[in-house]
Amino acid sequence: MLNIDGFAYTNRLKNVHPTEKAVFALLTLFLCLVFSSFTVSCLTLLLMTVVTVRRAGIPYRAYFRMMAIPFSFLVVGVLTIGITITTQRVEQEWLGSLTAAGVTFGVTSGSIIKAAELAGKSLAAVSCLYFLALTTPVVDLTAAMRKLRIPSLFIELTELTYRFIFVLQETAEDIYLSQSVRWGYSSLKNSYKSLGSLTATLFLRAHHRSGMIFTALTARGYNGQLSVLAPEYRVSTANILMITVVELLLLSVGVIAEVKGI
Amino acid sequence: MSIETGDWIIEACNLSYMYPDGTQALRGVSLKIPKGGKIALLGSNGAGKSTLFLHLNGILRPREGVVRFAGSDLKYDRQTLLELRKNVGIVFQDPDSQLFSASVYQEISFGPLNLGLPEEIVRERVETAMAATGTGEFRQRPTHMLSYGQKKRVCIAGILAMNPSVMVCDEPTAWLDPKNARQIISLFNQIASDGTTVIISTHDVNLAYSWADYVFIMAEGNIMGEGDPESVFRDEILMYKTNLEKPWLVEIHEILLKKGCFPADSSMPRNRDELYQLLRNNNMCRREEMLNDFNNIRDEGRERNNVTLGIKRL
Ligand SMILES: Nc1ncnc2c1ncn2[C@@H]1O[C@H](COP(=O)(O)OP(=O)(O)O)[C@@H](O)[C@H]1O
Ligand SMILES: [Mg+2]
Repeated sequence: MLNIDGFAYTNRLKNVHPTEKAVFALLTLFLCLVFSSFTVSCLTLLLMTVVTVRRAGIPYRAYFRMMAIPFSFLVVGVLTIGITITTQRVEQEWLGSLTAAGVTFGVTSGSIIKAAELAGKSLAAVSCLYFLALTTPVVDLTAAMRKLRIPSLFIELTELTYRFIFVLQETAEDIYLSQSVRWGYSSLKNSYKSLGSLTATLFLRAHHRSGMIFTALTARGYNGQLSVLAPEYRVSTANILMITVVELLLLSVGVIAEVKGI
Repeated sequence: MSIETGDWIIEACNLSYMYPDGTQALRGVSLKIPKGGKIALLGSNGAGKSTLFLHLNGILRPREGVVRFAGSDLKYDRQTLLELRKNVGIVFQDPDSQLFSASVYQEISFGPLNLGLPEEIVRERVETAMAATGTGEFRQRPTHMLSYGQKKRVCIAGILAMNPSVMVCDEPTAWLDPKNARQIISLFNQIASDGTTVIISTHDVNLAYSWADYVFIMAEGNIMGEGDPESVFRDEILMYKTNLEKPWLVEIHEILLKKGCFPADSSMPRNRDELYQLLRNNNMCRREEMLNDFNNIRDEGRERNNVTLGIKRL
């Protein structure tokens, strides 16, 4: 399994102010979406890959494995856009085409450019989000969300969900282990039965635990609001300056590309 | 220890409680917790310890009986309850049912923030609690990457940061290895030495005997006996009735007393070192041999079995 969560807590940028990282990632994402330019997309992808791998020290193997995940979806999307299918006998500027039973499959230069633009933009957008996910722990993200005045219900839900994914996972692993040492997964039939009871037990435990959590929170004076403080991070002027310069550069490249129509 | 009336921080009078499914968990429990004491509530599984604890902090409301805090009856309105929870903190048995946040810092800040303290004070308290519990070193790690003992310490820090006058801990040493258990216990000693009343529940007679200065014994929703550990654990009938084993120190002391190694009025040793001291001071048996024996055992850091063996050989 890809250990995104683990990287978030151990990467070299973990001590950087989360808001700086969030602003960097989201601003770049925004620019890359606003300028539907292939140049900007490629630049963004390059920028984010370099920062994630070189600055944050995420192993490039892990990074490329993660990049491969959206790739399969992307291939499907790009193919549908890149390949034009038509039954009309209208003359098009085919770069290559194949006609069978009155249906023509083919690619035109327009469709290829469109597909490339789409692929570039998607990968660039994903790389922005990966940067954020790999360098910023969820707890820091929610802290930044608090600063940005996002509704607390949403933040609390995010935090609780995040925390209890791991508790649930641990519980499921325990149950799975105790079932499998008793041959619970020795045959297909047993596996179905065991998996069923695992799921049922998991639901019961989760329900029970939520009751206990509520009790424990109440014991500490819970009043309907999960108010917490986040550790304080130092704001780095150098980082802010760097982010500003990079974003301005990206912006000007975007504008030039727009004007010149590349 | 002599306790005057008025020195009780918490009193429970004749508490009865039945869970919605009909389980009668408490059957007329009465107890008085001395202020500033180290108190152990001893009882086997299902005795009703956890249920009783939930009453001390107003989570559960008794069907009958009253809870008193610092002399006044507990009312179950919002304000009184909040005040009570500020004063009585509970550390629950399972850390995964207490830690709601993935961040150690956020987790510890939750309690003091609920007390309505200003941010700077809360940050100060979080730092102090982290220093006291030694949790500061993993402040950067999420709670799901901590060991069981570390999680436990974060839970304790979360309560400590509220500065309660009573700290209640449900089975604090369950599932902990000896080293972690020792750490937790010495943490409790430190908390108690600052004037906080510490109440723990346990089924470990040796822990209750060595650590506590007042012991309650619970079984089937009742308090079966109470007193200072020396007298409680010498009560054969009580031990028999409640299915409890005698602490090994008490057992050995009794054997040695029978053998005439100590004068009949010698005080009971509360820990290993006190036992050795006693043996040294009363070198009535084959002195050199025995001291050597015990010193060896001590150096090797072995416990109970070896000591018992050594004594049987005498
Ligand atoms: N939530 C609950 N619902 C119903 N019965 C419970 C619940 N919690 C505990 N009990 C029952 O109450 C009795 C006392 O339990 P508890 O206070 O947890 O004991 P202890 O902490 O000493 O092990 C037990 O018989 C237990 O089964
Ligand atoms: Mg219990």
